[in-house]
Amino acid sequence: MIKFIGKCLLIESKKKILVIGDLHFGYGESLRKMGIMIPDRLFENLTLELNFILDSFEIDEVVILGDLKHEFGKILNSEWREINEFIDILLKRKKDVVIIKGNHDKITGIITEKRGILIKDFYIYEDIAFIHGDKDFKEIYKRDIKTWLMGHAHPAVKISDGNKEEKFKCFLDGKYKGRRVIILPSFFDINEGTDPREFDLGLAWKFELNKFKVKVVGEGIEVLNFGKLKEITYF
Amino acid sequence: MEENLIYVEACEREEVIGILHPLVREWFFSKFKDLSLTQLYGVKRIWDRRNILISAPTGGTKTLTAFLGILNYLVSLSIKKELEDKIYAVYNSPLKALSNDIFVNLIRPLEEINELAKLKGIEMQEIRVGLRTGDTTASERAKMAKKVPHIFVTTPESLSIILTAPKFIENLRAVEFVIVDEIHAMANKRGVYLSLSLERLCDESLIEPVRIGLSATVAPLEEVAKFLVGFKDGKLRECLIAKVPLVKEVEIGLITPTEDILEAEDPENQKKLYKILDDLIQENRTTLIFTNTRAATERVVHHLDLHFPKKYVGLIGAHHSSMSKEKRFEIEEKLRNGELKVAVSSTSLELGIDIGSIDLVVLLRSPKGVARALQRIGRAGHMLHSNPRGKFIVLDRDDLVECGVLMKDMIEKKIDEVQIPKNALDVLAQQIYGMAISKIWNAEEMLRVIRKSYCYNELSKEDFYDVISYLAGDYALEHRNVYAKIWYNSESGEIGKRGKLARVIYLTNLGTIPEEGFISVEITMPAERRGQSVGKIDEGFLERLKKGDVFVLGGQKYQFMYTRGMKAYVRADVSRSPTVPSWFSEMLPLSFDVGMDIARFRGLVKERIKKKAECLKFIKEYLYVDDLAAQNIFRYFKEQEKFSEIPDNFTLVVEKFKQDKEYLLFHSMYGRRINDALARAYAFAAARLRMRDIEMGINDNGFYIAGESLDEKKIINSINSDNLESVLKEAIEKTDVLKRRFRHCASRGLMILRSYKGRTKSVGKQQVHSHFLLSAVKKISEEFPILREARREVLEDVMDIKNAVQILKWIEKGRMKIKVIRTPMVSPFGLNLYVQGHADFIRIEDKLKFLKRMHSLQMKVIGEDYD
Repeated sequence: MIKFIGKCLLIESKKKILVIGDLHFGYGESLRKMGIMIPDRLFENLTLELNFILDSFEIDEVVILGDLKHEFGKILNSEWREINEFIDILLKRKKDVVIIKGNHDKITGIITEKRGILIKDFYIYEDIAFIHGDKDFKEIYKRDIKTWLMGHAHPAVKISDGNKEEKFKCFLDGKYKGRRVIILPSFFDINEGTDPREFDLGLAWKFELNKFKVKVVGEGIEVLNFGKLKEITYF
Repeated sequence: MEENLIYVEACEREEVIGILHPLVREWFFSKFKDLSLTQLYGVKRIWDRRNILISAPTGGTKTLTAFLGILNYLVSLSIKKELEDKIYAVYNSPLKALSNDIFVNLIRPLEEINELAKLKGIEMQEIRVGLRTGDTTASERAKMAKKVPHIFVTTPESLSIILTAPKFIENLRAVEFVIVDEIHAMANKRGVYLSLSLERLCDESLIEPVRIGLSATVAPLEEVAKFLVGFKDGKLRECLIAKVPLVKEVEIGLITPTEDILEAEDPENQKKLYKILDDLIQENRTTLIFTNTRAATERVVHHLDLHFPKKYVGLIGAHHSSMSKEKRFEIEEKLRNGELKVAVSSTSLELGIDIGSIDLVVLLRSPKGVARALQRIGRAGHMLHSNPRGKFIVLDRDDLVECGVLMKDMIEKKIDEVQIPKNALDVLAQQIYGMAISKIWNAEEMLRVIRKSYCYNELSKEDFYDVISYLAGDYALEHRNVYAKIWYNSESGEIGKRGKLARVIYLTNLGTIPEEGFISVEITMPAERRGQSVGKIDEGFLERLKKGDVFVLGGQKYQFMYTRGMKAYVRADVSRSPTVPSWFSEMLPLSFDVGMDIARFRGLVKERIKKKAECLKFIKEYLYVDDLAAQNIFRYFKEQEKFSEIPDNFTLVVEKFKQDKEYLLFHSMYGRRINDALARAYAFAAARLRMRDIEMGINDNGFYIAGESLDEKKIINSINSDNLESVLKEAIEKTDVLKRRFRHCASRGLMILRSYKGRTKSVGKQQVHSHFLLSAVKKISEEFPILREARREVLEDVMDIKNAVQILKWIEKGRMKIKVIRTPMVSPFGLNLYVQGHADFIRIEDKLKFLKRMHSLQMKVIGEDYD
């Protein structure tokens, strides 16, 4: 049973697993590097949201599907501190943490020092495969795997009433070769993301996204079903 | 009038000649027939060390007027061998391309005086002139450091750079003269910036320099004089005002290109327009054509060639600010040498660079202000005693009326007024940073110096310390260290710079002109034209574009699809009419004074409209126009009168009609800046009534709001002179204009660094973060100083809230009446406004409510929620 909770997924089976998309720590640093001296409160906001979800639902394990870091390359110690603090929050609440390796490697060294953290290229639990989305793996094609969950793409959708247009974060929920595929939105609020009708999402497969169902993230933990992507008028 | 501002008359000729050193006198009269009128006004006063603002029409003797007394002084010293190694005079001009002018006005005279001295066996010390602008090379700068110039020529930006140069500043300890040229062009943030730099300069100098302001025709003169001299010990410094009378009569005329002006808008009749242009150009040696936008400039050049192939090859040049520096200089050189038959410019050739002798200035479409029109036409006839000649060519009916009234104001010498921004917090932040880099200050002392500037004379302590707090990084809380630019010790009251990079950051990011990039426009559809580049649009325009908007570029229609990187992608297969005016972001606003004059003219025509012959006679005499123009104007007014009513200065006609939605079109003849304010306020009120977004359109002649159903009584009654400001503050919160101005202010206030750690940001990237930046800052505080300044800039500089309040007061007092008339469709007077398309939307519906609404709509389409 997969539930849509705000920007996350909640898998309710023997284990209760919270699935989170891309995180992008280090955004503040990347802004500063560009000479934009506006401090971001992204970390504080993230912690608040996360704590709220952890308080409201029974959760055994947290799987992070996406990039922890915003940019490649050097990163401030303060940013590493944030990542560690974030994981500490989860560990303190006695959750198991699984991190799916995104398109970065640098976290491996520091994170493996922590107990209870698994870093994997892909993770399989029951009939669900958790992947990042930029790479394909032959293991996820095993017969008994019925669902793929991924991040990386930051899906969003532009909705217009003919006059004005707004962009919203969304899940894309569809089928591929007989399996259910759900693409999660990015967890952080830097920007909404990419509308697949405008740009390629950069995923490792050619999905028929037009037939995917669009589930828009609304207020709080609300998720609104908008039907198939092709049914949403694109102006 | 202030007691320290004194209007003066011309001095007696003998008085002025009497102060000249014999050598200088001999040189002067060997070159010139006599002293000019401007020189009679100014030279002796400067010699007497009085602050003076000299206002004279553009004509080439102002600069020498300023320098003559100073040269006289320096020559005397140099003959007596008493010339010291210091800067005696600082000359400031907003133009980077000063070199040629300085050569003519300073270096050559000095050379000639030197030669004369040699001939006479008189020994002189070398009098040195140093030029420092953004183009000055490092080696030139080094040379200047070794051999201190006596006259230092610079720009506002370069001035503030040398104020932080620890060694060079020593040369400024005893400055005796400060000249501010083109001061009429400083009624903006650049001028605000300069005024603070001047106070810093005066603070560094141990003696108070004489301040000399050189201005073209501008109003109000007292305001500009106060801006020049500033305050000392809380009192306005003394300033003489020399208003040199416009001896030169301006010869102007107005041309309507076709019998019926309506036909002029038909592209078929472009031929007639260009024939007229061709005739005018051929009748004169050199013609200068002014348009209002870069796009129009390109178009005119292109079409002249199109209609007269080969005739203008090598003889025509375009000149506008998005051209390269080299290309612009090339055109200027060619003009000076008389090699061009015609040059076409937008606003870039308005300011004083010498461009040789121009016989005729053509104004294609209204220049939107009297001072600007005079400035442009003043570019003609540089010969001291020939009259400038100018022609207006109008291209539509509103243009015709506007230019007619403008022309009348020009002939009758009614100059429109400038407004100088006050208490601009972003410029203040940048200058405080500069001051902190020069040395450690006591906060109260710093505030004292700042308040000497006219633009900051009323700066509150609160605002000052808010800016200090911002620069000290307080807003970043625990991360203060990363963001602070200065440190402030509240106990000792001291302020100093912070970080090793402070000076570098300051030098590479200073300035007030916001960086506006240009975005290439490329075609995506139809397939056969894919990849074709069709021109450029500027950043400001791009920000306003929504997907699907149709605009015109280079005479062709395109539909905006999306941007990626630094390119905008469009479809060329468009049949829809344009939804946004392409030149919107460049459009010069009509001055309020001229707007009121047009309104008054409308009232006068209205009184006589029933008697055609009398009316025609009146129009011809009142506006100084010919039969054809008068006929067209009469016809236009008659149509409006038959259709609904002629709006004027006593009656604000509001027309209500229905097309795809309900429209309320206000004929507010006040200029775009005021109309923007009123439109947004009424649109906001309308939006709030039904909690739906409202479309609005504005131009100089009026504004409209449009929505599903509009209750005009409620809407009009909800805005008054007391609540206008608070309503507007709310109304602009989510607008593009606030976002954009915020980015500019953040840039000036050094919150966004153009150049940081060696990496210069592309303008495109800067844009991308606008939305995020504004919301992040709002989370810090709604009253964050940079945000506050952005709001002030939008309400006071972009819009004109002061005069908008005045209009509302007039209505409340009964001096003006609002009259709502129902019409079947848009009226003749409203047509241009309606066709132009929307300027913006007032978004009242927030994102989440919109989402919910769209969701329920979508559910109806796809059926019940299923999963």
